[in-house]
Amino acid sequence: MSEVQRRKYSQEEQTSIFDREFMPHIDSMYNFAFRLTFDEDDAKDLVQDTYMKAFRFINSFEQGTNAKAWLFRILKNSFINDYRKKTKLPATVDYQEVETFYNSDDVDYQSTTDLRAESVRDMLGDEISNALNSLDVDFRTAIILADLEGFTYEEMAKILDIPIGTVRSRLHRARNLLKEKLKGYAQSMGYNTEEEEV
Amino acid sequence: MQCSDVSKCYELLERILDGELGEEGREMLKEKLEKCQPCFVHVHLQQAIREVLKTKCPKQPLPETLEESIRKMIQNAR
Repeated sequence: MSEVQRRKYSQEEQTSIFDREFMPHIDSMYNFAFRLTFDEDDAKDLVQDTYMKAFRFINSFEQGTNAKAWLFRILKNSFINDYRKKTKLPATVDYQEVETFYNSDDVDYQSTTDLRAESVRDMLGDEISNALNSLDVDFRTAIILADLEGFTYEEMAKILDIPIGTVRSRLHRARNLLKEKLKGYAQSMGYNTEEEEV
Repeated sequence: MQCSDVSKCYELLERILDGELGEEGREMLKEKLEKCQPCFVHVHLQQAIREVLKTKCPKQPLPETLEESIRKMIQNAR
């Protein structure tokens, strides 16, 4: 494969960009990869591939722009293009279909006040984590990017290649689904899910 | 008192919590919380969920050799 790229950075500059702007995000990248693949070796491979690609295309990175968002975008694309193909996982669910489905009001707002904030605060990290991990990958990704990594909607739109309006609605659905999962945990663990007395 | 369109309202509240509406959003939030009980409950639950996601979700420790192996790959690729 021939890569005709304008050489923008000298070798020293490349090393410095790689060390100062890319490497500091390795922890976040690995945790994102692990939450996508649920496997230590796959997560490792995915992060390695991502850094390899980032290095190969370093000349298309603009210094001073958001390196973390750029790296997350590469990782997410690698996951979809390489990892999913390699492991022969079923093709990704059609976003629109999923979003339309969860858009229906009965799924959305059947129970809004019956999980208490106090119950959520009492939950264990593993319960929270399992609830998150049980979400469909697109909804899981939305929550990871927004709440665990603190990306803005605008950054998420770039990472996921979707319009900002879709980020907004996907995140909203994701949060509703997560809340339902947490409610399930709360009930099974015997946390009080009754509506607060006012 | 309750908002007329709860669905639209909750989505708006979440955008405010996400900081997408800036100062204007904070004012709007204050006003809503004073007037609408379901909004108040929703915001508190959403804040709790965000808080536990951020503070309690277990982090996967970085494999010791990963950083080194990436640096080696880059060296070889030059």
